[in-house]
Amino acid sequence: MPPPLQAHRLLISHRRLPTPARRRFSAVSSVQSPPAKTLAPGPATSSILSIRGSLLSGERTAAEITAEYLSRLRRTEPSVRSFIHVADSDAVREAEELDRRIASEGKDALGPLAGVLVGVKDNLCTANMPSTGGSRILEGYRPAYDATAVRRLREAGAIVVGKTNLDEFGMGSTTEGSAFQVTTNPWDESRVPGGSSGGSASAVSARQCVVSLGSDTGGSVRQPASFCGVVGLKPTYGRVSRFGLMAYASSLDVVGCFGSSVFDTATILSVVAGHDKMDSTSSSQNVPDYASELVPLDSLESKPLNGLRIGIIQETLGEGVDSGVASSIKAATSHLEQLGSVVSLPSFSLGLPAYYILASSEASSNLSRYDGIRYGRQVSADDLSELYGESRANGLGHEVKMRILMGTYALSAGYYDAYYKRAQQVRTLVQESFEDALKRFDILVSPAAPSAAYKIGEKINDPLAMYAGDIMTVNVNLAGLPALVVPCGFVEGGPAGLPVGLQMIGSPFSEEIAVCV
Amino acid sequence: MLAAAASAVPRLRLAAPSPPLRRAPGRRQWLLPRRRPLSSSVPNVTPAAGAGELEPPDLPRLANAARISLSPQQAEEFAPKIQQVVDWFGQLQAVDLESIEPSLRAGTAAGSSLREDKPETFANRDAIVEAIPSYDDPYIKVPRVLNKE
Repeated sequence: MPPPLQAHRLLISHRRLPTPARRRFSAVSSVQSPPAKTLAPGPATSSILSIRGSLLSGERTAAEITAEYLSRLRRTEPSVRSFIHVADSDAVREAEELDRRIASEGKDALGPLAGVLVGVKDNLCTANMPSTGGSRILEGYRPAYDATAVRRLREAGAIVVGKTNLDEFGMGSTTEGSAFQVTTNPWDESRVPGGSSGGSASAVSARQCVVSLGSDTGGSVRQPASFCGVVGLKPTYGRVSRFGLMAYASSLDVVGCFGSSVFDTATILSVVAGHDKMDSTSSSQNVPDYASELVPLDSLESKPLNGLRIGIIQETLGEGVDSGVASSIKAATSHLEQLGSVVSLPSFSLGLPAYYILASSEASSNLSRYDGIRYGRQVSADDLSELYGESRANGLGHEVKMRILMGTYALSAGYYDAYYKRAQQVRTLVQESFEDALKRFDILVSPAAPSAAYKIGEKINDPLAMYAGDIMTVNVNLAGLPALVVPCGFVEGGPAGLPVGLQMIGSPFSEEIAVCV
Repeated sequence: MLAAAASAVPRLRLAAPSPPLRRAPGRRQWLLPRRRPLSSSVPNVTPAAGAGELEPPDLPRLANAARISLSPQQAEEFAPKIQQVVDWFGQLQAVDLESIEPSLRAGTAAGSSLREDKPETFANRDAIVEAIPSYDDPYIKVPRVLNKE
């Protein structure tokens, strides 16, 4: 079993904690499990900074660092299966190229992400690599361009090591919906890594790459971050360009990121965020340097969280939430400045059906482009209609078909008012209730999922049971708010316990506050 | 704090829980899965009477509209699951949404930031052409559109 990240290390890296007690978030589980060993020796601080340091000092070359990650990737892949495509020869070549430039230009050759290996979720287009969206209908498809987020990472010096596994087109919460393979959770290979960005989360958790990109439409970055014990960030809707992200639900999709520390995740966000003329929903709001606000533990001021108002969402700690998860969250929030006050969001539980109506409806429209004519897999037929029907029937998976059919139903004449319009109205309610709560609190907290990672195959035949697990995350997408998930404890299960993540939600474009907390 | 929170956002008025939807004889009974209630603020699970007035999903018609070929067996497989989810959607019928404006998207995105309407040549046209399954320069080949006399 691949050794997962030492979660307790990343909990204390670059966090501001109230003095005098520099308490770590302790494992809530009563079983004292031995700390998980990692293969990668190295400081429990930012991997990006330590790579940069090694390259600057000449202690290591980019080629050596890349080789180390690739070797670990190859060793762990048979069990974890995070990647649909690994671009090892490209990665090695780019690393050697970087080393040559460092030799000739010195540290001017180092972009902010020089030598950093990234995994990219396979629904983000990469020009020189197959991009399948986790679907057979795009098997072998090579896009003609890089997604903006990918292009910005590359321009900063990052090396794309491969495309990570996902639920087909982002639809699912376990990554079992991939047409290619099932990814496992590095903490327990009989369990799911979460979804839909399961491969991106597990790749960072198993240290197969330094950071990764995912997408979050209903929790697809935050829930896998919680299940795999890594940091996951869902930015404000419009913060990061969606150009090159295969659209699932255009009013809900965002590009998000994973890292082993808040610092690394914040660094990635700074690089990919910002206005893009190719995405008219992208915001022109200024992009701060998110990571610069963070200070290492050794230079803590006293009571740095003074005055920060934190609200625990009442509806997320009641019935239906695993007790181990609830106590992890409470323990975590008791470490923050105040014992978080509880706040109620009245339309909370309505958000889930509203989300699924909106997402299915938008998906039914967005996925109509997969017609087998201009790209992807084609099944030949006698007439055009049949070609569409057969190509799509053959290439699209079960869950995707379900959602397209549900969306088609919800949008059809006579049903629009009953479903889609009502869901839009619920969206307004959800936005308003968050707005009210965020006037009184700076940060709202909740679990990222009602349980820790469950077993592979457990929810696959029960769609509603799987959808129910998204209750903690979908409302945030409906409101377009930013949210950060950090590991905050463990529950019993698996060889070394199962991670639990704390979700911190802020007002639009307040990522820097969440990151500092 | 809680009392203040509870009195906030008063517009959400909930209809009284409606009786379980009676199914016409001859239609299959779907068993709703055991679900753990996630919140007590909304009467959950029971499909509202309003949803019963809408026709249930007609799978063959939907599949045709969505251009996805479905064999009769596949339609049989999908129908109960879709029915289940659609019933679950029905809980939105129970909520009074009278004066609420529908919102298109999160209010966070920029206003209209349209780029200049100026054509530009795409640099990597070759890659686009290469991705086309059935190409006969300069045509994208498709079978006949109408299969009628």
